Amino acid sequence: MSTAIEYFQFVLAPQMLIGLVLGVAVILVALGLTIIFGLLDVINMSHGEFYALGAFIALALGSIGLPFWLLLILVPLVMLPVGYIVERGLIQRVFHSGERHVTTLLLTFGLGLVMEDAFRLVFGPNPHKPETPIVGAIDVFGVFLPLYRLFLIVGGAVVVALVALVVYRTRLGAMVRAAAFDRHMAASLGVPVQHVYAGAFAFGVALAGLAGVLLAPVYSAFPTMGRDFILMAFTVVIVGGMGSIAGVVVAGLLLTQVQAISSLYISPVWSDPIVFGIMVIMLMVRPQGLFGRLGHG
Amino acid sequence: MLAIQNLHTYYGTSHVIQGIDLNVDQGAVIGVFGRNGVGKSTLLKTIAGWIRPAQGEIVFNGERIHGQAADRIARKGVGFVPEDRRIFPGLTVEENLTLGFLQVPRRSGADNSAALRRIYDRFPRLAERRHQNGTTLSGGEQQMLAMARVMIGEPRLLLIDEPSEGLAPMIVADLFAIIGEMKQRGCTILLVEQNVPQALTACDSFIAIERGRVIRAGDASNKDDCERLMQAISF
Repeated sequence: MSTAIEYFQFVLAPQMLIGLVLGVAVILVALGLTIIFGLLDVINMSHGEFYALGAFIALALGSIGLPFWLLLILVPLVMLPVGYIVERGLIQRVFHSGERHVTTLLLTFGLGLVMEDAFRLVFGPNPHKPETPIVGAIDVFGVFLPLYRLFLIVGGAVVVALVALVVYRTRLGAMVRAAAFDRHMAASLGVPVQHVYAGAFAFGVALAGLAGVLLAPVYSAFPTMGRDFILMAFTVVIVGGMGSIAGVVVAGLLLTQVQAISSLYISPVWSDPIVFGIMVIMLMVRPQGLFGRLGHG
Repeated sequence: MLAIQNLHTYYGTSHVIQGIDLNVDQGAVIGVFGRNGVGKSTLLKTIAGWIRPAQGEIVFNGERIHGQAADRIARKGVGFVPEDRRIFPGLTVEENLTLGFLQVPRRSGADNSAALRRIYDRFPRLAERRHQNGTTLSGGEQQMLAMARVMIGEPRLLLIDEPSEGLAPMIVADLFAIIGEMKQRGCTILLVEQNVPQALTACDSFIAIERGRVIRAGDASNKDDCERLMQAISF
């Protein structure tokens, strides 16, 4: 019995804690992605680069002396108009074309490539690690957990709760859910659908930017940082149910735990294929994912 | 109030509306009849801004509205109750209703609350079920919700597509009573309905459509006109 407890305390629990931090990070990135998909039916391939943009804006503003806590508010606010302009200026232009899915996917993929190269030109190819805003660690059941990672877990939960509150408990959220389900009917009730689309895209981009600010002190900021998370974020969105906030949370926590715990027993090289394998199986047996889509009940 | 001239609308390559002309006076109820697939619903969708016409003109209260976005048309006072009700499944009855406030963006919060109270007084079943998901209501209740959420915006022109489809006679009677109340308030109504005899009792005049064109128009109170209509659309 004591061996089992020790195994849990010294082997399993630390690994689960690592998985939890990664899970929160993935959820933060996937949250904006799923809102954009759920509402606009657009697979935003540049979402990872918006996450990187948030990190780089924070890095640039941090270098002129702005405090981290201010950046947590300022960077998403800066990202809002960026997202709005991208949606109105690029996505809307091809949104009503017959091949919408392919066109928007290629358009956002191209945008991501341009952004990645721009980051390389401006900030160079090497990683930049901002100072950790909270130093120190605490002992959680015998496991040392850096305080900043604890802040990430709590902060991530607060962000998810606030997003869910806006989407499910406000009139603005009702407009978003109505437009996600039936844009024609929503429009005939006076919902300014095109502005709702642009606003939701901007909101998703701002969330990606916030994730960039929060995660840069842990994972550093570098031009290709978006790619690292975006594959996992897409997997979480697909497994959770495309456009589902609850799905992102459940699948984000579940898949990162699978990744973390499986690496105890098999080579960590195999943990990613296992997670992506789950996504493939999910697409085959339950393509709609674990939870329903935004606005679909 | 509503003037349509030489309207042409396509669904892909299919030429559904093939040159419709229609003039509707303020406060009139016009029946739009015809067999399935002749373009009745497409006509309403084109007026509501769901489909962009390929040619022609739609003038509402002296303003050209064809080609405008559906939300702008709704805010000008055009309400639309489509054929399949289109209740939002992720929204409660009250959320479905209060979305309708957006049809009158300049109305105050107090006036919105008063409008909601009036709707609940008229539709007590919706008041009882205000916190329930809209799609958990019965078919009749969903039709009432679809009507109520447009009525809350007090439209000047109401487009109603097949409201009685699949409903029990008692609910249909209630539905036509509501259409009568809307008319009394001065609302102009374009009503597409398969139940022609029932619809004629609510209409002032009618048009019959065949292959995207108006083939007959008449007075709903004129027996001969009504008989010719029934022959024309083979009911």
